[in-house]
Amino acid sequence: MLYSILKALENRINFEEAKAHCDIPCGIYDPITAQIPALTVVRMLDLMTDLENKGGEKGKEFHNTFSRYVTVKEEHAEKAKHEIRVIWGDYIKAQHVEQYPELPALTHKIMQAGSKVRQTTDRQAAVDFVEAINQFAEIFWATKNVKTKRAKAPYAPALELVYPEL
Amino acid sequence: MCRVIKVTGESLTPIIEEGDFVLVLKIPFFFLHNGDIIVFRHETHGMMIKLVEAVSRVEGTVFAIGTHPLSTDSRSFGPVPRRNIIGKVILRIRGSV
Repeated sequence: MLYSILKALENRINFEEAKAHCDIPCGIYDPITAQIPALTVVRMLDLMTDLENKGGEKGKEFHNTFSRYVTVKEEHAEKAKHEIRVIWGDYIKAQHVEQYPELPALTHKIMQAGSKVRQTTDRQAAVDFVEAINQFAEIFWATKNVKTKRAKAPYAPALELVYPEL
Repeated sequence: MCRVIKVTGESLTPIIEEGDFVLVLKIPFFFLHNGDIIVFRHETHGMMIKLVEAVSRVEGTVFAIGTHPLSTDSRSFGPVPRRNIIGKVILRIRGSV
């Protein structure tokens, strides 16, 4: 109530401002840094499937390539989780959670989904991981009053991603 | 004596959030204690708002810090002299969203 009054008065009265600033610029957050790694996880699983179905000798070349796919899948699943943790820890505030009460459960779901895609080769789990992060992105942009749209990523595996309408 | 000030920046999260308004009251230096939120002037950074970590009655200074590890505060620019202190936050007015 009081806050609303002050906000309304803000256009007429130039309130003094006190800085609570940090040494480095804060405030640069974008969930795309988690969406792309999550998409990469799906891509690695597709490449693993392709390689497996290719047939031929399962020699050291096969194992070398396969292990590289697994490594990238591991790294990107963890990177996606890390980026969500940063937004959760540094950007999301109590008022965002009040406004979107599903946010804590969704964030926890992303953490668990990220672990599952590391532990398994379940493609559907990886697609679910992407979708959970998409939902997180929709809420993130909503907190900034930025509209979003869903569009297929312009690269394989061409899954739907949430983008801000800027 | 009493003024409304708007907060910018995130170095006091979650105690004070960016965009909050605070009611600041000018009080005598000896009424300041650890844990108070104060507003003060800094020569180069302008008006700042930080948390009092320590008060030196002898030197007449306070060591004021932010809650964020990257906060610009007494850890980088030293204690704040009492003459620069504008007042103590007595009310935080936070937005609902």
